[in-house]
Amino acid sequence: MTAPAAGRAVKIRMYNVGFGDSFLLTFPADDGDRLVLVDCGRHFASRGGRPIDQVVATILDDVTRDGRAHLDLVIATHRHQDHISGFADERWKTVDVGEVWLPWTEHPKDPEARRIRDAQTNAARRLQAACERLPAAAAAPALELARNSATNAAAIETLRRGFAGRPRRLYLPTEERAEATFQPQTLPGVVVHVLGPSRDPDVIRDLNPPPAESYLALLRETSPSERERRSPFGRIWTVGRDEFAAEGHYPELTMTDTEIEAVDGLGSSDPFALAVALERAVNGTSLMLVFELGEALFLFPGDAQWGTWKAALDDPEWRLLLERTTFYKVGHHGSHNGTPKTFVRQVLGATDETTATLGGFSAMVSTETIPMWPKIPKPELLADLGKRTTRLGRTDRTAQPDGFRVGPQGLYVETTITV
Amino acid sequence: MRRPLKIFAFDPMRGRAPFSTLEVEVENELNLKPGPRGSRIRVVDYDGATRRHYAPVDLDDRAILMQGGLDPSETNPRFHQQMVYAVAMKVLENFDRALGRRVEFRRDPRCSFTPGLTLLPHAFRGANAFFDPKFQSIRFGYFTADTKDPGPNLPGQTVFSCLSHDVIAHEMTHALVHRLREHFLEPSNRDVLAFHEGFSDIVAIFQHFTFPEVLRNVIQQTRGDLRAPNPLVELASQFGYATGRGAALRTAVDRPQEGIRSPAESERLYRQARLYETVFEPHERGSILVAAVFDAFFTSYLGRIEDLVRIATGGTGRLPEGDLHPDLVNRIADEASSAAQTILTMCIRAFDYLPPVDVSYGDYLRALVTADFDLMAERGLSERRALIEAFRLRGIYPTYVASLAEGSLLWPGPEQRLTIDLTQQVMGTLLMQAAGAFDKTDETRSFEESRRVWAKQLHAWASKPTITRALDLDPDRKIEVIGFHPTFRIGRNGELQVEFVAQFGQIERTERLSEFGGLPFRGGTTVIASTNGEVRYVISKPLVSPKLRGDKHLEAIERRNQQIEYADSFELADPRSAWLRGPGYDKRMQIRDFRMLHEGLLG
Repeated sequence: MTAPAAGRAVKIRMYNVGFGDSFLLTFPADDGDRLVLVDCGRHFASRGGRPIDQVVATILDDVTRDGRAHLDLVIATHRHQDHISGFADERWKTVDVGEVWLPWTEHPKDPEARRIRDAQTNAARRLQAACERLPAAAAAPALELARNSATNAAAIETLRRGFAGRPRRLYLPTEERAEATFQPQTLPGVVVHVLGPSRDPDVIRDLNPPPAESYLALLRETSPSERERRSPFGRIWTVGRDEFAAEGHYPELTMTDTEIEAVDGLGSSDPFALAVALERAVNGTSLMLVFELGEALFLFPGDAQWGTWKAALDDPEWRLLLERTTFYKVGHHGSHNGTPKTFVRQVLGATDETTATLGGFSAMVSTETIPMWPKIPKPELLADLGKRTTRLGRTDRTAQPDGFRVGPQGLYVETTITV
Repeated sequence: MRRPLKIFAFDPMRGRAPFSTLEVEVENELNLKPGPRGSRIRVVDYDGATRRHYAPVDLDDRAILMQGGLDPSETNPRFHQQMVYAVAMKVLENFDRALGRRVEFRRDPRCSFTPGLTLLPHAFRGANAFFDPKFQSIRFGYFTADTKDPGPNLPGQTVFSCLSHDVIAHEMTHALVHRLREHFLEPSNRDVLAFHEGFSDIVAIFQHFTFPEVLRNVIQQTRGDLRAPNPLVELASQFGYATGRGAALRTAVDRPQEGIRSPAESERLYRQARLYETVFEPHERGSILVAAVFDAFFTSYLGRIEDLVRIATGGTGRLPEGDLHPDLVNRIADEASSAAQTILTMCIRAFDYLPPVDVSYGDYLRALVTADFDLMAERGLSERRALIEAFRLRGIYPTYVASLAEGSLLWPGPEQRLTIDLTQQVMGTLLMQAAGAFDKTDETRSFEESRRVWAKQLHAWASKPTITRALDLDPDRKIEVIGFHPTFRIGRNGELQVEFVAQFGQIERTERLSEFGGLPFRGGTTVIASTNGEVRYVISKPLVSPKLRGDKHLEAIERRNQQIEYADSFELADPRSAWLRGPGYDKRMQIRDFRMLHEGLLG
């Protein structure tokens, strides 16, 4: 690794996509800057920020030099719409890309990856189909989440096979733990650590969506004849409810109406519980990356969930690395699931040298308050972060702290980190 | 008189293996009605998915009596009802025996069968079964086996959770734990729900060892190494395979325990695994407890058969190639069965020595040691040592103890002599009633009246300033009398031991504080006293109050902080938390039944 020249800096531009993520990183190098795009997506439920086609146009503008659009590296942390919907745009075909990084769960051939992907995709499809047939009021919160997990074929196609310049695809991390830290060809002088998604079977289990049976249960047939047809026992054993009560032979076996109602309701699933379980499963596939350049460490956890965080924090080496974080992309739009409190309180900025040489860490959160989900971003988390640093940039605020710049028409928020 | 009934030994999946069905004997309840409907449990076969009943079985029907119960069958719902009843009764009897009293359920006016438990063998369609405390009811689901990866099942065949011995025993234990410690459904620390799950698995697994034919068969196959993969240490095989796991649902042997290793090697492996510090999902964390108890059982079992093996091998201790001699197998099986029953009884008996709220694995170890020490100070030593060692190996340490020596693990007694102040009349009535409960012909007994009397007297006693202080209760808060009952036990030397157990509860209303997620902060004390009222142990979880003894005050502050910390980590792991709002979020820590827990949708 060549020692970076003094006074060089990494520029981080956070596009205002509303509820979603899109970051452009500019790394300095002796033979010219390197451009890295981390995610490009916006949630269906998003109302603030910019429509995604406008964001794509802005990005393309920002990466075009001498009439040629070029990105050294494109990273898609996971397949949720609010991270990749922008890649469905036709205009990416003309963009020259050096390399594309995706989580290992997107590997086209790896059997375990395919199994997880198929399970998640099928779950999203089933859930969406079921929700669309349920009364709107009951299904609305679940439907918004299900749509976020639905496969965006065009975006995936761009990431898998699209872009100009025949970019190499890397699916990270590889199965070798030793390879989780490497120096990418596309970013001279930068060391990358891949903290997630883990390949540990215990963490992978979290990536399994609820079983197919649960979605069927959302739409359980209601006609009496259909119900009877599906009885597990022959007709000779069954006694109708009224008949059973009328016979009067079994007064000791009667139940109250409330008790019976409770049992009748057991077969149906709660669409919301299924939707959030699926949402977490897909979030769990998030790439969690640390870019290391000189003394600076940039942490991009995507929407990593507790399983990935826990694996990283439980690993003594990764934990030491996380302590040296100088820039933190706040996980999962500032939800409490996305950033463990122990990380903010005990790990972030725990190394004194960081504070001494670089003046604390910076953080950015790309988010928007959606009335349906008032706990994102979580005020307590942002308050906690606020106690650890004054340098917190947010897309859901017009005023930014010192060191952050707002782009024209509020298209983005930007900061630079000295390395 | 006992009632013989047939069941599947584990579940129908093993139907083709030897000894897959067996006969168990349960209490011959007089007045048993069709259902079966007994005095404490009843089976109601109502199916919410089809909105129909399945005709109830009458176990007193002559044709059924003559053949010793219906033959095992997957297609006859009446056999399902019989199996649920038989296994549930077996669990009840294990609790009665270990606790030294007949466990009665609470009266609840909202339920149609009360005091008692209603079991629904085919309540709904779904790969789940759970206990619902609101309706004092256990609901078993049925489902179709995974079409792609059904294991030894037929793809798409109907799988009944009510035909799994382990599922029935597990859910029954949940219901009994809830009966004995109502507040263990509130996840106030990382061990509480795991304890519920782990303890339920322990009962299910140790009941396997009471099936002599299966036990002998397994001992022959594993040549006595009960840690080797075998049906006895596996939990809910059919359920596990049918849901596409490719394995049983859980096992009693944890990874570092597999295979025979040197003590130093297994010590190193456990240290490396750090399971207790890193595993939080309630079932998986429960498995740590199961593995610790099983480990202690295995040590105790090895100690018991050492001499047998030496005798059988002319002193070498090395078993020859080929099949073991059937006599040796029988003798080893007897020892395994007796060791298993001893450990299971210890595990259940320890319940009376648990604090009323906020249990931890460390508390449970102290309860195990104290309860057993109390009954058989000398003779239980080897089992107690094995338990302490098995817990230590897994990094489970009780808090506020000086060392892991047996003496430090015993619960503390009162600082000064303390006597429960009840009138002789109340004590006498209570003893007579509890003793009478074993007489199964008396169905009209009622504890309600005497309950009001003793509750009042106990409350008055605990409210005296000196007593309140001695019990680590907060003098500025209301004291609730949660329970009071005598226990009758026989020590290994044949002596009868009678004790009184009283539980007091207190509450700090923290439900509305966001960081508690809808749970109160509870405190409470369990008091163990001799028949003359003299208090022997004070097992307390104090609330925060400057009026407490210094160390207890600090302990309370620490405990309160731990509850907040746990709520925080619960929120992190709970997939719902980011998307919840309003009351759903404010009450996120309240668990209404075990359904979500079992579906893995929580935590």
